[in-house]
Amino acid sequence: MKRVVSLLCLNYAASVYAAGGEGSRPRGVGPEFAKFYKDAVTFSCITNPSVNIPIGRVNDDYCDCPDGSDEPGTSACAHVSPLSPHTPVDQSHARHNISLALPGFYCKNKGHVPTYVPFTSVNDGICDYELCCDGSEEWDHVGGVKCEDRCQQIGKEFRKLDEARQKSLGNAGRKRKELVAEAGRLRKEVEDRLMTLGTEIEGSELKVKQLEGELAEVERREKGKVVRSAVQKVGKMGALVGLAKQRTQELRETLERVRQERDSSRSRLEELESVLSTFKEEYNPNFNDEGGPEPDAAHDRDLNAITQSDKENGIDWEEYEGEEDSDTDVLYAFENYLPVSLRGWVDQKLRDLRVTLIDSGILADTGSSSGESKAVADAQQRLNSARNDLDNSRKSLTEHKEGLDKDFGPDDIFRALKGQCISTDSGEYTYEFCFMDKTTQKPKKGGGHTNMGNFVRVERMTVDEDLPPNGKGLGTCERIAMKHENGQHCWNGPNRATTVILGCAEEGEIWKIMEEEKCVYRMEVGTPAVCEALGQAVPKKADGRDEL
Amino acid sequence: MRGNTICRSLSVKHENFKTCAQSGFCKRNRDYADHASSLSSSWDSPYKLDSSSIKFSNGVLSGTLLKTIDTTTAETVRLPLIITFLESGTARITIDEERRQTGEIELRHDSKARKERYNEAEKWAIVGGMQLSSGAAVSRDAEAGSTKVVYGPGSTFEAVIFHAPFGVEFERGGETQIKFNEKGYMNVEHWRPKIEKPIEEKKEGEDATSEEVAKEIGEDESTWWEESFGGNTDSKPRGPESVGIDVTFPGYEHVYGIAEHTGPLSLKQTRGGEGNFNEPYRLYNSDVFEYELDSPMTLYGSIPFMQAHKKDSTVGIFWLNAAETWIDIVKAKVSANPLSLGIGGHTDTQTHWFSESGLIDVFVFLGPTPKDVVRSYSELTGYTQLPQQFAIGYHQCRWNYVTDEDVRDVDRKFDKHLIPYDVIWLDIEYTEGKKYFTWDPLTFPDPLGMQKQLDAHDRKLVAIIDPHIKNEGGYSVVDELKSKDLAVHNKDDTIYEGWCWPGSSYWIDCFSPSARKWWAGLFQYAKFPSSAPNLFIWNDMNEPSVFNGPETTMPKDNLHHGHWEHRDVHNINGMTLINATYEALLSRNKAEEKSLRRPFVLTRSFYSGSQRLGAMWTGDNQASWDHLAASVGMILSMGISGFPFAGADVGGFFGNPSKELLTRWYQAGAFYPFFRGHAHIDTRRREPYLAGAPYTEIITQALRLRYSLLPAWYTAFYQASTSGTPIVQPNYYVHPGDEKGLAVDDQLYLGNTGLLAKPVTSEGAESVDIYLADAETYYDYFDFTTYQGPGTKTIPAPLEKIPILMQGGHIVPRRERPRRSSGLMKFDPFTLVVVLGNSGDAEGELYLDDGESFEYEAGAYIHRKFAYSGPTSTLSSEDLSIEGKKTKQYLQTMMDVRVEKIIIIGAPESWKIKSEVGVSEEGTNKSTPVKKAALSWHAASGGKAAWAVVRNPAVAIGKGWKVDFAS
Repeated sequence: MKRVVSLLCLNYAASVYAAGGEGSRPRGVGPEFAKFYKDAVTFSCITNPSVNIPIGRVNDDYCDCPDGSDEPGTSACAHVSPLSPHTPVDQSHARHNISLALPGFYCKNKGHVPTYVPFTSVNDGICDYELCCDGSEEWDHVGGVKCEDRCQQIGKEFRKLDEARQKSLGNAGRKRKELVAEAGRLRKEVEDRLMTLGTEIEGSELKVKQLEGELAEVERREKGKVVRSAVQKVGKMGALVGLAKQRTQELRETLERVRQERDSSRSRLEELESVLSTFKEEYNPNFNDEGGPEPDAAHDRDLNAITQSDKENGIDWEEYEGEEDSDTDVLYAFENYLPVSLRGWVDQKLRDLRVTLIDSGILADTGSSSGESKAVADAQQRLNSARNDLDNSRKSLTEHKEGLDKDFGPDDIFRALKGQCISTDSGEYTYEFCFMDKTTQKPKKGGGHTNMGNFVRVERMTVDEDLPPNGKGLGTCERIAMKHENGQHCWNGPNRATTVILGCAEEGEIWKIMEEEKCVYRMEVGTPAVCEALGQAVPKKADGRDEL
Repeated sequence: MRGNTICRSLSVKHENFKTCAQSGFCKRNRDYADHASSLSSSWDSPYKLDSSSIKFSNGVLSGTLLKTIDTTTAETVRLPLIITFLESGTARITIDEERRQTGEIELRHDSKARKERYNEAEKWAIVGGMQLSSGAAVSRDAEAGSTKVVYGPGSTFEAVIFHAPFGVEFERGGETQIKFNEKGYMNVEHWRPKIEKPIEEKKEGEDATSEEVAKEIGEDESTWWEESFGGNTDSKPRGPESVGIDVTFPGYEHVYGIAEHTGPLSLKQTRGGEGNFNEPYRLYNSDVFEYELDSPMTLYGSIPFMQAHKKDSTVGIFWLNAAETWIDIVKAKVSANPLSLGIGGHTDTQTHWFSESGLIDVFVFLGPTPKDVVRSYSELTGYTQLPQQFAIGYHQCRWNYVTDEDVRDVDRKFDKHLIPYDVIWLDIEYTEGKKYFTWDPLTFPDPLGMQKQLDAHDRKLVAIIDPHIKNEGGYSVVDELKSKDLAVHNKDDTIYEGWCWPGSSYWIDCFSPSARKWWAGLFQYAKFPSSAPNLFIWNDMNEPSVFNGPETTMPKDNLHHGHWEHRDVHNINGMTLINATYEALLSRNKAEEKSLRRPFVLTRSFYSGSQRLGAMWTGDNQASWDHLAASVGMILSMGISGFPFAGADVGGFFGNPSKELLTRWYQAGAFYPFFRGHAHIDTRRREPYLAGAPYTEIITQALRLRYSLLPAWYTAFYQASTSGTPIVQPNYYVHPGDEKGLAVDDQLYLGNTGLLAKPVTSEGAESVDIYLADAETYYDYFDFTTYQGPGTKTIPAPLEKIPILMQGGHIVPRRERPRRSSGLMKFDPFTLVVVLGNSGDAEGELYLDDGESFEYEAGAYIHRKFAYSGPTSTLSSEDLSIEGKKTKQYLQTMMDVRVEKIIIIGAPESWKIKSEVGVSEEGTNKSTPVKKAALSWHAASGGKAAWAVVRNPAVAIGKGWKVDFAS
């Protein structure tokens, strides 16, 4: 029973198309194998034709053929499989692979679709209506079992469902087309924007060049008529202080932002702690590693201090601004005025600042400490602004280019769905999947959301799943999957990750969510975006052999 | 191993469990023994049997032992002695304390505890075999100062009771087998009032002297009145009360038993020295997290039954005491003549048993075979329950299948991959907030639908129910437990509260009959919502495990029903729970089902007798090769300890096994009597179908092998249930005369099928060495390669192969058609594998019944003996059954079940020219001609034996028949 993963996503793995006349095949033989059972006297094992047995031994509930082909209608050869332990008794006739020549017991299923049921299910006392709606596989009535023919009813239900499914597939196909169109439009938008940006950049480059020229000209003109002005009074120190002041404000803002982030982290931390404490309560203390985060109130106090305005904080900028004679060394002493806990951090920032200053020539430029004329300053400002515009445009160009090159799946289709979210309830959580973004777990009882992974890439993967009658499932084939990684860290585990596997459906819908291993999730999601693959795959004809 | 979450090395927290030095009575008894040994022959054991008190009638000898407690005043304590001789050949020595019996003692701290020494262990452990010996008699030829009783089969046993000092020697066939108190370690700590001594001022250097004094009299008082460990203080209201005695097995080098421990089957010495343990073996049922291998540390269960074995002789003792117990083992080399070292020398195994409270109550078994000893023990404590057939199929467990849909999905996947299994399990997460008898409404919204899906393929669900009941308002189970006062009490005699999975919890006290009755009520279908008849139960944490208790269990001064202290009953506690659950499962299905079905309960904690009630597993093991290797010895040890329905978590509980390890573990697990895959919540999923090629295929082969051999397994269970035979057997049990193989514990025989499996327990193995004890011919199970015993043989063992040999001389029944579950094999035909031995004969057995009900008790079963006779070249099936009311009806249902194939391994060359055999069946008319069945013979080649197959003899499995190979 060789397993071949079909590239096609079969609706019914085991379905077989009836072909050929009924004739008088031995029990359990499918029409495509009828030819092997025609001889009235002798039967030759299908894959071991050198082994011949009297026809009376076909279906006599004793396994004669090494490939099991003499027992198409019983379970006598069910053990002929690489899944069974074997001895020379099973391999007595020749060297060969142990595998069945037949896909299973053929159920005619009149009124429905014919199927092969595994030999292991033949005459085991269980009516396998899912595969064998006519109950013919329990012909021996072991233990008194009687499996009535239910094909009329099951077939009818199937056709009804199938019709609905086909209709739904049609709708889904249309939706997909719309999505493709939308994706195309979005792409076009990006491409257009790229073009615009290209033009903008060209213009900006020209402008910068021109302004550079202007500045040079103004400087040349202004040279020599520099006077010591009020500005000069501020001096080098003043300039530095101005910069430091500005930088400090930036740092303060950064700090504020970091603090907010920290607070939100902390609320997550609290949640984790509550998880931990629940865990602690519920866990054998013998093996519960003690240890949670230290309360960081002290640290928090320091942060409070530094984010206060400068005056309250003891930094009197005016003092510096007025102090002409101060040396730049004061800059390095600045950190002394800070709370100890932040000194190191600020020190680093100041070092960065100093590097910036030197890079931009401020610290080294001892000769031009005098104030510049307004004309020069204005020219400089115009140039800077033009340079800024150019940088922004270039950045935007890069971003858009990346966006264009990114893998949005076949036909660029997920471009149309980017940022769209679908969710479902499962157990005590609501799960959310946002296309090209992330997956999230939200407790129904309230509390923080858990990031289950951020989108990293589109992949293809082979799945082997049941396909429920309503079609909401993956079946056996290659599917498009989205990998999400680096979600929130799991206690005593990895960062959360989610693989979202997509199947065709009329509407976006999360079918199934599983935690496959600790903090590694798998979502099965229906979306019209992947319907084309399925649409192509509906088989015109399949013998289903590989599937059994 | 990406994402392996457990990267720390696992090891037990020793500090959570007492060493002998930290257990007051253990230290006192060891010190006492050291003191006695140091004095050697000048040691005068203070226990004397008052000769005038001795009486003997109806197989019972009684008398009074006097313990001298003050040599100057000659003050003594009276200790009633009873030695009982049983019809079975078993003897029993019971020593109590008179003052405790009559209640003339005072308890400290106003304790409500009982004053007697605990004397109800037998109520729980002993169920039979207590018929008194009619033939036992006092012999007249006793030497002065001793009394001799002759008893046992053919009066070949003797017990010689020495009066002063007291001691008993047991002889068989004129040879001494077991000696009690030969070393003078006997110690019954009698009750005494606490005398408050004036607090002496401690001076430098004084400690040493006072300690020495204490040592000299062997009485270190520091642990008499209270003991603290890990922040818990034991109030010890009765003071010191331990009992101990030494038991010597002269000439015996090997002792086995006293499960549950991780060390080798043949027990190690415990008094230090190279390769020996430094601690005694401990029996104090505990939830030992991440337990270590090769250790005398206690584990979850206790069976205080020990066998001593030497070539062709086995004896044993059963120490019936439920309190904390330690056993020291020393093997003393004795050379008969110091000048001829080694010649005529032998080894005596000296054991020293002591328990914290209760009686000295010891059963003595004189064998002479391992079978006899295990049978005698099992006769007393009960035979293994004959389980339902599904229970010996494969069980799929995980902490946790998280939703009912998850369970259904796993169920479907097994079918999709054509892998057989019978039972899927639910660990604690299925409950609503760890409240047993509830289902989490969010994750298990449809438990009945789930159970129904399983039932469609005759599969079962096992759900966990633990003894701790969550202390939470609005939970009817805890409300009833409290209002009916059915929980264990604390030392103040009010309800005891501790912590376990649910947080604050109470513990049902299953020692109480009314608690058991209430418990049974909880399992009624109406009371346990959404429970279906295919739901069975797993009792975990029943040591009991108490997260915040001393040594992760209950305080010893807790009080149980009848006001017995927990100290007295601790090791029995786990058994009382599964006893209650067993009874509950029996009573739940009266109305709803057509016939009573056998309960299935899995337990982690156990005591002698638990085998009557269900299966055990070895608790929380680890996904490592050494744990896989250790499991074999542990399961063998359970087998010879009368509790053979044992298994270890396949794959290892903690950690992620490599695919190779997982595969090898399934191959080993196929030879565990209890075969269950289980995994910790932090591990990756590892259901067999997830392993991928080639592992899934190889694992499936192992599972299908197990299922094809179920007839042999079920027969082995039947034998265990009627004679105590281990289901998997160690070499010494099968070959008691083979001196070289007495310590072999890494290979196992399946019942008496002659199938010998040697699980591969090392990584990357391509072959294994297998030990053959006898001169029989053995054949490779899969390719018929011949191995001639005795000796160690190397057999190939690539990953896809389980090393199994078939010992010549056996007939093994199989059912070769793979099905989805064991229930669906009920009407499948049989294959008989006849393995011809050196004699040319072979023999085997088959037991068969409906696999679920008790109707076999009314004769609804098939029990056949198959015998192949070399001289007459005939194979016959003989009836071993005893007809009962339901025999005919059962045989009728099995009428069409036939033998479809007979395989003869080692078939004689003379069959080369034969093409058919004659088949005759009982009940057919004598005048009808004998049927013929085709025979094919295949020559030996390349070291592989010749073999033959009889094609479809089509004889009924339930009938007598004969296959004639000569005609």
